[in-house]
Amino acid sequence: MRLPKLLAGLALASVALAACGTAGGGGTSNKGVIKIAVDLPESGAETSNGIPTLNGVKFAVQQMGSVDGFTLQVFNLDDAVNGVHDPQKGAQNVQQFVDDTKVLGVVGPFNSSVARAEIPITNRAHLVQISPANTNQCLTKDVYIPQSLSGLADVDCKAAGLPFPKDLRPTGTNNYFRVATTDDNQGPAMSDYAYKTLSIKKVGVASDAEAYGKGIADTFSARFKNNGGTIVKRQDFPNASHVSDFRSFLRAALAAGAQGIYFGGTDSNNACVVRNQMKGIFPDSAPFMGGDGIVTGQCIKDAAAKVVGMYGTVATVAAEKVSGAQATIDAFKKAFPNKDDYGAYTMPAYDSAKILVAAIDKAIKANNSNMPSRQQVLDQMAKTDYTGVLGHTSFDDKGDTTNKVITVYSVKDATTGWEVTSSVSLS
Amino acid sequence: MGAGGPPPLPLEQVATLAGALKGTRSALSGSLGTWSFLGGTILILSVLLLPKAVASPAFFLQILIYGVANGAIFALIALGYTMVYGIIELINFAHGDIFTLGAFLALPLVGLFGMTDSTPFSFGVVLILLLVTAVVMVIDGGINVAIERLAYRPLRNAPRLAILITAVGMSFILEGVMYIWRGANNVHFPDVLPGSRIPIPGGASLGVKDVIVIVSAVILVSLLNVFTGNSKLGKAMRATAQDREAAQLMGININRTIAATFFIGAALAAAGGIIFGLYFNNIRFDEGFTAGLFAFTAAVFGGIGNIQGAALGGLFIGLVQAFSNAYFQAALTDVWIFAILILVLVCRPTGLLGMQVPEK
Repeated sequence: MRLPKLLAGLALASVALAACGTAGGGGTSNKGVIKIAVDLPESGAETSNGIPTLNGVKFAVQQMGSVDGFTLQVFNLDDAVNGVHDPQKGAQNVQQFVDDTKVLGVVGPFNSSVARAEIPITNRAHLVQISPANTNQCLTKDVYIPQSLSGLADVDCKAAGLPFPKDLRPTGTNNYFRVATTDDNQGPAMSDYAYKTLSIKKVGVASDAEAYGKGIADTFSARFKNNGGTIVKRQDFPNASHVSDFRSFLRAALAAGAQGIYFGGTDSNNACVVRNQMKGIFPDSAPFMGGDGIVTGQCIKDAAAKVVGMYGTVATVAAEKVSGAQATIDAFKKAFPNKDDYGAYTMPAYDSAKILVAAIDKAIKANNSNMPSRQQVLDQMAKTDYTGVLGHTSFDDKGDTTNKVITVYSVKDATTGWEVTSSVSLS
Repeated sequence: MGAGGPPPLPLEQVATLAGALKGTRSALSGSLGTWSFLGGTILILSVLLLPKAVASPAFFLQILIYGVANGAIFALIALGYTMVYGIIELINFAHGDIFTLGAFLALPLVGLFGMTDSTPFSFGVVLILLLVTAVVMVIDGGINVAIERLAYRPLRNAPRLAILITAVGMSFILEGVMYIWRGANNVHFPDVLPGSRIPIPGGASLGVKDVIVIVSAVILVSLLNVFTGNSKLGKAMRATAQDREAAQLMGININRTIAATFFIGAALAAAGGIIFGLYFNNIRFDEGFTAGLFAFTAAVFGGIGNIQGAALGGLFIGLVQAFSNAYFQAALTDVWIFAILILVLVCRPTGLLGMQVPEK
């Protein structure tokens, strides 16, 4: 009987020590525990996605330690099954969060498909969810590709095979927020970068004919024409994963005067095989452009001899390009010294956790320093007005960040791979 | 009377049309049909392509080269389909995966000799590649013979559907094994062939790789042609294809002959797989699914069971793909290919050069 007591004493002591270790944590931690839940894919092939992201939350919570006398704890669950993110597992995880009364908010998930399974569950419980990485527009918007971007008619989410945001929110109110912007901004951002920075006026455009790939290719093309450029050749390849030869298209584009190629699609649909086949057809200086579907390690392998000169957009802020954020990045790298500890989503996760705790803080203060309800945290979250390592973040009524920044990655050196090259702001 | 006659019933119209079609079919079944079809195809293609070819001959030539090279690879796969169908009337759906397996088997061997993208091209490289290809042809052929022995031979006298489904099953099994072996992503095949190109006056250029692909395919198809025409085993294969029972009565070992057919078909597909790998430098576990489908289409197009027909069909599909992707809509490339196939089969079910299958 004495052993559990002893253990409890030890635990209390360590909590007290942890509280002492943080500066300005807000007094003693005797009011109990508030859990920051985290759902990410943390195992198998997804380790490189989930763990650096989880580290961002851990680092933020370590720094803060406590909020208004409540000790902060990270409660993380893995949504990967056999090493691949799994919507069903994600749904089980958030159900566990909902059942734990100490959980006041969830950071995650990483994948939009997982978010689609989780939002209905957290929504019924009025539990705040903030994702550092989701970029699919249909989580928050009805329109998949707006007419204004494609130059064609609106493509709504149903037409793209996805549920509408309202279908994911049974209570009719929003509880989901994100710090990444949406994929429909990827095409326009690359278009601006190509036209203004790379000074390309004629482009050949192709896609894998899927909702994502054709969508970003259409939005790229519409914006590029708007900028004053010309799309000299346009093709869509259905079953692109089974197309082995893209050279006829590349030759036709070159013959029509293309200075570069934009391919809307993913590496699994041979996007980077297209890049590889530019070998011997296009000069080395001709860029190959695409969306986040090509900003992958597999793309580097597929493009082989033609890796240098690839440009891809990612719908998140790169903290490296935000003034004043470098100090936090350095501090993080001191606390988490391994190279694999830091990733593209570490700082977005860090800010997500800080934004969530800031809302909890305001909710506690509005509730006479008592443990607030989840609804009270949600009310404060919607009013977020926060400046951090991603710049200034606030949310529109759908839960999308007003800080619409697309980061351009490129490969300058075959050995270093993808690196942050530029930031394109669309807000 | 004249205009006062009752209009013909729709049914009668259909009957007339069907009759006319039947008439066309029988009229087109001989060598006259072959030539009229070849002539017609060339005519349609020239109407569609000639203005574009004249406008930019160099570009046209470039696309033609791509089409011929791709067609050569399709032809190598199509031969296996056509030989197997010719001898046991089986659409061997697993054949496309035997093609992929050829490239996958070559990868560790090529790696064993330390070949990478940066390996300079030399006489030694050629020797190693020939050696690897020979070894893989034997292994892949052996695997196909084993498949035939285990999965097809016991069903040889079962209803056609049973053996067909077995072949579909083998296809999935092979793909599954290759998936577990190399994963879902593209696998990089070392780019060891020289990337240099021979300029052609006018602006086009002929890649050394294109030449290697086309020449190897021509050599392999010619060897096969000579083999089936002149060798003892080749004659046995043709005899078995014509009439299995009669061949058996003449003392031909049917099982051995059929196994040999599977071996040769797979060996050619393996060579095709390695050529594909060396040419495109990327191959995936399910590459054989579509490649096999197109190759099978090529075999039917040329006349199933007919070796020259399969080669011609492969070439034709390669050309349609290349021209469609360059001049027309890539989204409709497959539509073109299969529309042409349907047209050929409706008017001439025996294919371009005529079927060579067992007589009933």
